[in-house]
Amino acid sequence: MAELIGLDDVGIVYQGVRRIGGTGYWALRHVDLSLREGEILGLIGHNGAGKSTLLRVLAGILRPDEGRMRQARKLRAQLLSLGVGFVPHLTGRDNAVLSGMLHGMSRRAMKQALPAIREYAELGDFFDMPLNSYSAGMVLRLGFAVAMQSQPDVLLIDEVLGVGDADFLEKSTADLQRKMRSGMTCVLVSHQDDTIRQYCDRAVLVHGGRIAADGSVEETLKRYHESSRSPS
Amino acid sequence: MHFFELLWFSAYAELKAEASRSYLGFVWWLLEPAMFMAVFYVVFGMVLKRGGDDYLAFLLIGLTFWQWFKSCISHGSHAIWLNIPLMQQVKLPAALFPCTTVVSDTVKFLFIFAVLLVILWSSGYPPWWGYVVLPLLFLVQLLLATACCLIAAAIVPFVPDVRFVIENALMALMFVSGVVFSLDAIEEPVSSWLALNPMVGLIESARSVLMHQQLPDWSLLAQSAAGSVLVMLLALLMLHRLAPRYPKLVI
Repeated sequence: MAELIGLDDVGIVYQGVRRIGGTGYWALRHVDLSLREGEILGLIGHNGAGKSTLLRVLAGILRPDEGRMRQARKLRAQLLSLGVGFVPHLTGRDNAVLSGMLHGMSRRAMKQALPAIREYAELGDFFDMPLNSYSAGMVLRLGFAVAMQSQPDVLLIDEVLGVGDADFLEKSTADLQRKMRSGMTCVLVSHQDDTIRQYCDRAVLVHGGRIAADGSVEETLKRYHESSRSPS
Repeated sequence: MHFFELLWFSAYAELKAEASRSYLGFVWWLLEPAMFMAVFYVVFGMVLKRGGDDYLAFLLIGLTFWQWFKSCISHGSHAIWLNIPLMQQVKLPAALFPCTTVVSDTVKFLFIFAVLLVILWSSGYPPWWGYVVLPLLFLVQLLLATACCLIAAAIVPFVPDVRFVIENALMALMFVSGVVFSLDAIEEPVSSWLALNPMVGLIESARSVLMHQQLPDWSLLAQSAAGSVLVMLLALLMLHRLAPRYPKLVI
């Protein structure tokens, strides 16, 4: 498989915030990673290891302070985030268009997708009511319905695989699964071994801002559990 | 281009959300500046009795253009700062947020400007063909307001404390922009320094066209335009340098 995104010796440093002086904190350092077209890559590691930072680098949100990122072509890599840019005083319809456009979709594409979003989110007449009249579950359903409309080249998922009550959870998880398996390139962060086993072709262990293991899912999980037992 | 499509829709969403937050909705876009103008008129026109017959027109034109400039900056200065959580989720150009507030404030300005024209026409300042230069004045002022707004918005996320300074700096700037009283009485060398402020040329030009049926002083306007372009270049340079750092900030 051809490489889609490559990281060479990438480092991300956070400066001490709102203090004069203060040394930086390297959230990632010397990271080499290759993401291949069509694969589903799992990212595992303890809290604070740098998994989310790594996802943000792949999404193009954080620019490497050190090293560089190569892209095979002009790519749209997108973090799966629900309800991006939602405004409480606007209707579900306006919020769907706004959020979709923030995700890089055109206004026309979002307008065309509106009937599908309305139906998928199971909102009925609430679709034309302001968002602040929604229940928390309805907001999540709308967010998920909008997210499912965009077609990025690389989908980056941080834990969230499905949302809502039992029925919607099943439906949303199944649809995201279908999307991931339709040949889309994905990176998935999860703390659950079963999730990684179920979806991923390959797994990477992030530890202390570095790549500690990169290989088959079973080998990487084994290394992960070894590192859990021996605190470093 | 996607940036502008997103900009228009964000501004539309912001205006719509703002209108739905109060009972009177967009009526406030007219009422609020009207109240503000009334205060100045009572204080300077009736109590202190400054200026002559032309003073009301003089003041209202100055305030209309000044309020547009001021609201762009005071609203826009928070824009990047407030949207950092969004920039941590989606890759977005930082300039989008301050530009959105500039667009929505410009729409509100156009409402106020319409009211200003009605007041001027009914108090003896009729329209004439010289109004054709107004779009040019708007364009220069839009450029200046956007540039100043971008600079303020670029700095606030790093030093949120400047927010407290900005409002008062704007107030000080208002008095040296010839909004409430004419700068003619000020002597050299102070007046030459004050003339470096591009708002002086813009407000003077607007008064020439709207009150005196005269075309603007072109050299004064050219000076304002050149100043605005310089500030814009500085703003773009700053944003270009600072853009990668915003998603890393903790708010």
